[in-house]
This record gives sequence, structure tokens and C-alpha cells, in this order.
Amino acid sequence: MLPLVQVERLTKVFGSVRALDGVTFEIAEGEWIAIMGPSGSGKTTLINILGGLDRPSSGSAVVAGQEIGALREDELTRYRAEKIGFIFQQYHLVPYLSALENVMLAQYFHSMTDESAAEESLRQVGLGHRLRHLPSQLSGGEQQRVAIARALINQPKLILADEPTGNVDEANEQIILDLLRALHAAGHTIAIVTHDPGIGRMTDRRIELAHGRLSQITAAASGRLF
Amino acid sequence: MFWRVLRRLFVASRGRLIIALVAVASGAAVTTALLNLQWDAERKLSAEFRTLGANVTILPRGATGQAAPADPLASPLENENVMARLAQATAANPVTAAPYLYVVAKVPQASHKEQDVIVAGTWLDESSRLTPWWKITGETIAARDDSAHCLIGSTAARQLGLSPGSPVTLQYAGRSATFTVGGVIHSGAEEDSQIFANLAAVQKLAGLEGRIGLVQLSVPGTPREIAAVVTRLTAALPDLEVRPVRQLAEAEGRLLGRMRGLIFAMVVLILGLTMLCVLASMAALAMERRRDVGLMKAIGGSMSRIVRIFLAEAGALGFVGGVAGYVLGIALSQWIGRRAFNVAIAVRPEVLPLVVALMVGVALAGALPLRLLGRVRPAEILRGE
Repeated sequence: MLPLVQVERLTKVFGSVRALDGVTFEIAEGEWIAIMGPSGSGKTTLINILGGLDRPSSGSAVVAGQEIGALREDELTRYRAEKIGFIFQQYHLVPYLSALENVMLAQYFHSMTDESAAEESLRQVGLGHRLRHLPSQLSGGEQQRVAIARALINQPKLILADEPTGNVDEANEQIILDLLRALHAAGHTIAIVTHDPGIGRMTDRRIELAHGRLSQITAAASGRLF
Repeated sequence: MFWRVLRRLFVASRGRLIIALVAVASGAAVTTALLNLQWDAERKLSAEFRTLGANVTILPRGATGQAAPADPLASPLENENVMARLAQATAANPVTAAPYLYVVAKVPQASHKEQDVIVAGTWLDESSRLTPWWKITGETIAARDDSAHCLIGSTAARQLGLSPGSPVTLQYAGRSATFTVGGVIHSGAEEDSQIFANLAAVQKLAGLEGRIGLVQLSVPGTPREIAAVVTRLTAALPDLEVRPVRQLAEAEGRLLGRMRGLIFAMVVLILGLTMLCVLASMAALAMERRRDVGLMKAIGGSMSRIVRIFLAEAGALGFVGGVAGYVLGIALSQWIGRRAFNVAIAVRPEVLPLVVALMVGVALAGALPLRLLGRVRPAEILRGE
């Protein structure tokens, strides 16, 4: 079976800075991988390219059969709406929409809203009792769970999580990681950017970047290097 | 979801939107007041011009239109039935009209001297409506068939030594007629040197029964409406010349044109200033919403869908502001009408759709900063946290 994600000699240059330099790897469908490395190693740049928020300077990134670099702006927008579920470190909820409306917003941009499906999505992340609350009325962990529900509502092919536990307390961190584990168990493909080695060990493989280059790929369970 | 997001946007940004709404409503109010006043002011200005006297003259074809031709027998005379034809032609929109026959009669003086004086035979009831600026000392003549009395201009009265109640005998071509002076006219114009008497009596004096020299009319309405009446009369009276009083028509047209131009310029200025106010508010809103727009694009929101929400917000602002401003503007125009012109200004419902359309257009134009949000690059915005 073809991998869901195929990245080959991916390079991204910002001015004189090579944020990514010839990165090559694959992600199989249903796999949970961690993208790790020190600050400035290119993790967020990589995840932005996989998510269609940015374009490569050279090389290729193919996700679910679509070459990211070849997509027009409107095609990238559809790609993000249909194929990707984003979970940001800062949650990035719309502050004047309720938890339910934030999830429905993703439905609206995808196709049509379905309030009952959005409610169910929030119940699955344990927020069935907080549907009408604004983000300002939710804790950091609750906001991140709303973001997870939003990321899942359109049945994405690939979930991209950029430091999803970076801004939550320990208790909520555990809740979020349990959610991600459950998603993985359900067959979702997840790529998570993290500094935390503990989170890295939870995944199937770790992709480590240094100065924009792929330094190593490790199978988390066996510790085998690729 | 579209309306939900729109409602939330209004609530979330109500501070800035209220400022923009006040700007739009103010612009709409002033625009409404100006347009309302213009419509009524044109009518009232035209009515004021009507008080300056006749604005249309009907003459024999080729006539010079002078009131006192040197030789009245040399000028072609019209049959009096022109008045019946005129009444028929203006039945739908009646006008004030009076026939005139001018002759130069002689007034015998003491010591066998004679004084020439211009005598106008006319329908004195109608001619008084054509000359509302006349000040008359003594009695006016209200009855059209009063052939016993006459009105005399103040200059003629002084020269002839006449006053109200004085008898005056007019002589023409061996015929004479005697009247009693009813009142003395003070017009400040050439009428002060003339005598005005019953048409039939003057026709008899001149030996021109049933004949008149010209007809003067006061046609109400705007210059365009007056021109339409002139065209209708020209068609209805092809053997006669229907001539607008050029000086009055030109003066009225110039004044109305300048008024329209001034109001148009003011409306454009108001709209421009309103748009700038909206632009300022929307620019501030755009800065506040960059992150939200970046997020919407990141989760798959297309530029057209996102911008459509913001444009709907601006359009709603223009609509609500336009309607509110229209109501305020009506009140403003009423107040200006009473305070400045001492008249009641009529409410013009046709101004409402025009003002609302203008304000929606202004609001959409002022929402340019929000439209530019479509160019936001989500990766840059979300990275800048």
C-alpha cells in the first residue's frame, strides 16, 4: 500500500535561512509519528508544509496523493478543509464563537454544518456540558479539546498536532494524550511536533530534525533506527 | 452558520461598529435632509418666481411683444376666442392668464392741453393675480366686468393730478370713455405710468371690439414643467407665438441649476467623509481580525467565503445606518424647513431607497481593509504568536 505521506528532498528557504534542507521520509496510513528536534530545527515549517499552510521551495511533499507544491491557492484551501486536521499549540479558537460554533465553523468551510455531529464530536472529547461556552470561559485544556474536536469533525486523512500539550497543565496534558492515543487506536494518521521525549516514546516512530535536516528516524517501540 | 458568524461578529466588534454606524447614520441624515430640501426647495423657489409675474406671453406670430406699439392699427390683433382655446389647452393644469389690449389714449387737462397715457384693457381680476407685487392705495377692482372704475399708476396719477375717487376721461380717435379712479398702483416698474381698465371698455374706446394684443400667463412648476406647457400651447395654438419670458426662465434655470449643483457637491462631500470614517473603523477592525482570518484560512476557509462574511457585515451596517439616518434626516429637513424657510417640508419616501443604496455602497467601499484580509497568509499569522 502506498504511504499516506511521501516527502522527498523537501527544502524550504526563507531569505538566507534554509529552514528545511533535503528532508526525505514517509508516513504510512494509521501511523503515529513524532517530529522532534531543538528550536529552529524546522519542525513547524515541515508540519506547515504537510498541512498546506506553506509551500516547499524545492523537493516534493505528497499527502493522500496530492503534491502540495503543485496546488493552486484555492486547491490548497480545499486540501486543508478536506484532508487535514490541525491542532495548534495555542488552540487558535475563534474567541467570539462558542465551543460548538468553533467546531461547526470547520464544517461550514468544508461543506455543510451538522450541529448534532458537532455536538457528538465535543461529547467524545468530554465537553458535552460546555457546548455554549466561549473560549474565554474554558480552561486551556478544554480549549485544546475543542480544537481536537474541530480537527476531527471533517474526518481528515492526516492529523497534524504542533505541540498540542505545550500550553496545558499536567492533568489536561494527560487527557489530551489519552485522546490522541484513542485516535491512533481508531486508525487515524497523526504527526505530532513535540519536545517531550515521553510523548515521542508513545508514537510509532520519531523523526528527528537538526538545522533543517533529517538527523535520524527511530522506531519508538524497538528503538530501531531507520 | 453564515448568519451565526455574522451575529457574533456584530456583538464582538460592537464598539468599533457603533462608531462606523454613527458615521453612516450621520451621513445618511444629512444626505436625506439635503435631498428632501432640494425637492421641496425647487418647488418653493419656482412658486416664488411665479410672484414675479407672468412667465409666458402669447403673441401674434412675428410680433415684437411690446406693450405699446407706436401704431396699434399696424400691429396684427388676435381674436378674443384665443382665451377659450387657451382654457381648453390648459384644462388639465390651469394657469393664470389675462388678455391685454394696449392703446395710447389722451387725457384732457386744464387749459386745453392733453396728456398721452398708455391704457391697458384687461381682465382686472386675473391681472391682479399676475402682479402680486403691486401695492395699491385705494380700492382694488375685483370684478372682471367692472367698467366704471380703473386703476392708475402712481406716476401717471401724479402727472394727471388724480387720486382715488377722481374721474378720468380717456379719448381715442374721436371716442371717449370716463372712469372713476379706484386705486393707485405702486409697482416700481412701467405699470406706474399706465392706466388699467376693463377690457371691453377699452376695446370699445379703441373701436376694436373683440380684439386683444397679447395674453400674459403665469405657468406654475419647474422650468422643465413650464417648458412642457409652452410646447403644448404651441401645438394647440399654431397660429400664435407662445413665448416664455426669457429673463425669468433663464434666471430661474440658473438659480435652480446652481442649487442642484451645490447640493450634489455637498452630497458627494458627505459621502466621501462618511466613507473615510467607515474606512478608519474597518481598518482598526481588520487589524483585530487578522489572527481570526489566518485561523479560518488554516482550517480550510476560502478567501471568498471569509470576505463574504465581512462584506455582509459592512452591507448590514450601511443598511441599518441608512434607514436610521433617513428617519433622522426627515426630522432634520423638517426642522430646517421651519427654522430657515418657515415652510413645512414634505416627506419624500422615494429618498429612502436612494439613501440606503448610497450608504450600503459607501459602507462596502469603506470595508476595503476587510476585503484585503483575504490576502492574509495563515502560516505567518499563526506563527506570530
